[in-house]
Amino acid sequence: MVKQLKSFIILAMVALVTISGATSCKSSNKLSKKEYKARVEQATKDLNAILNDQTEWTLEEQQARVNEIKQTDFSKKNPEIVEMIERAEAKIAKEMAERDRLAEEQRLKEEQRLRELEEQSKPKTGLADYFNMIANAKDVATANKYIKEALDLFESPDAAVLIRLNNYGDYDRPTTAVNYLNYLKDQKRVTVNVDNIKYNEENKITELELIKK
Amino acid sequence: MKKVLFAIAFAFFALTGYQAFAQEPELSPERKQAIDSLALEKVRDLSKYVKLIGSKNTPWSEANRVIDRAEELFAPDAEIGVSSLSKTKIEYYKVRKYLERLMRLNYDRVEIDWYKIQYVSDLQRQPDGTYVGVITIFQTFKGYDAEGRLVYQDTTKKDITVYVKRKETQIGGRLIGFWDVLLGDMRVKETTHK
Amino acid sequence: MSKLLKIIVPVFVLALCFKVDAQVLGNLGDVQVDEREFYTMTKQMGQFINRFNYEEDQYGKKLNPNDKEYRNAKKRRDALALLFDLNNPRTSGSLRDFFIEDLTKNNNQFMEFLGGKWFSEVSTKFKWKGKEVDISLIMALEKDGLGSKWVITNVFFSEFQKHFPQGELADREKHFLHPMSHELDFMNIYKIFNDPQIIEYYASTDYQPDYLTLFFYEIKQGNLKFDHVEAVKFHVLQIKNWYFEVSWFNRSGYNSGWLISNLVYLKDNEEETLLKIYQPKQ
Repeated sequence: MVKQLKSFIILAMVALVTISGATSCKSSNKLSKKEYKARVEQATKDLNAILNDQTEWTLEEQQARVNEIKQTDFSKKNPEIVEMIERAEAKIAKEMAERDRLAEEQRLKEEQRLRELEEQSKPKTGLADYFNMIANAKDVATANKYIKEALDLFESPDAAVLIRLNNYGDYDRPTTAVNYLNYLKDQKRVTVNVDNIKYNEENKITELELIKK
Repeated sequence: MKKVLFAIAFAFFALTGYQAFAQEPELSPERKQAIDSLALEKVRDLSKYVKLIGSKNTPWSEANRVIDRAEELFAPDAEIGVSSLSKTKIEYYKVRKYLERLMRLNYDRVEIDWYKIQYVSDLQRQPDGTYVGVITIFQTFKGYDAEGRLVYQDTTKKDITVYVKRKETQIGGRLIGFWDVLLGDMRVKETTHK
Repeated sequence: MSKLLKIIVPVFVLALCFKVDAQVLGNLGDVQVDEREFYTMTKQMGQFINRFNYEEDQYGKKLNPNDKEYRNAKKRRDALALLFDLNNPRTSGSLRDFFIEDLTKNNNQFMEFLGGKWFSEVSTKFKWKGKEVDISLIMALEKDGLGSKWVITNVFFSEFQKHFPQGELADREKHFLHPMSHELDFMNIYKIFNDPQIIEYYASTDYQPDYLTLFFYEIKQGNLKFDHVEAVKFHVLQIKNWYFEVSWFNRSGYNSGWLISNLVYLKDNEEETLLKIYQPKQ
């Protein structure tokens, strides 16, 4: 409602300006003293409101008003108004830039949020998936490609891999990520489940514990 | 006199040390089962490596990498003893030599397959406490020439020594007790089965 | 004839079982062929012992001692029948049936891996002073440290044995140093060295030549050089009043692998005599 009212006022104002402008354009000098005085008063009031943040106008409305004020030549009798115009324009420009910057920031944030949302909903290739993909790869090259990808999940190709046989503290000889992934490629079958994963601060696997199926 | 005292002290320590070691508890059937399966898995791994090494479709660099991995399954001094129906005297090969020979066999195509049958012996301990067992498996080998003709085939019985030793290692500040399974000598004997 | 059938029928029934169950057991291989021969084959000496005792079922699955099938007398009887060389009349006749009956009647005698009284005979070829010779090594399992090991207990080499013939008693009795020789500073002793072939007659009546020491000596001297193993078989004396031999049969069919190739019923102290041959020093 307030917004509608504001738009109406603007429209009315623009209309008024256009009409008065149309007349004044012909000869500004022909402005009566009374008219000029009224303009000085209105301009001073509006510019002060803009400079002191006492207006509810949007930045565009403010700029439109300043443009309108600039139609009248105040430089001779009221140079203070010209100075105010300059300050008001600088202020508006600054605020517009700031607003745009914030909007861009917001837009980027939103984009990021949407991207993440999409990432999350998209099925992610986990370690167990890689195990199966490597073991069932159609050829060596494909398996090697998956091994390379899977190794990205690890802190280093030499990250420790433990293979637990049972719950009695029996393990197979410990191995490394790169060796285990190649083992899957050669043996073409997965005989373990992922039991426990330890990560570093960068979310890379430092130690992997598997358990025999 | 000093010498005698030293000998007695040594004998005493040797005895007490030995007893502490000997008191290692017997393994439960579940744990024994897990170790048997682990040993069998190493043999299965070997059988896959042998297929890859023998296959003419395996790229040369891959075959060499697989030979390394297969060799790692064996104890360093392990040997392969091969005999055939016509040549009963055992020919000895170092593991690497045997595998490299397999890679370079002069056939156009090779088929290596393993029978489902396998036999795992009971694990026995040798004097140093290491467990030792033998796993028996059977393999068929077929070699074809460029025209696709079967030019050689045999079925062999393979008796593979398996050493199982309890070891410990530190990983991420944790003490991990593991079973070090190493394959030992392998006897390859041709059977009359075709 | 009916006895032969008694054996042959279980062999084939067993073989048929394997075809059905082969899938259940193994998963190592991918060969889609008839594997029954390999299931029936007694593949390791350890499997021979397990089958002999019925400590594994007909599919090779180890039986837990708590299992009611473990060492089951009836099943054991069937399993035992398949552990003989069926091509040999000596190991497929009534003696065998008598042996199986003896074992399963009370069902309290079993083969034990570390139970002693079983030996491996390793037939080898050596080079002796440049020529190829046959030497049999007798091996036994001995407990040591935390486990056990195979050790050499005796050796048979004709070149050694021929120097120690069991001479005629009458002949032996003619050769001795009289009991007062010492009073003459054994001035007569030179005579015993005149005939080296019978020098041992001058040793104690209990004297037994130690072939193993001779063997080691010849090896240390460089006169004997190992060449290769020809064959392996086992001699088993664990069952009271019985001796049997287990040999490897590399052949097709459902009667292959480690099988009983010789069977002897032992009277009185024959066991002790035999044991002395395999393990002279207990």
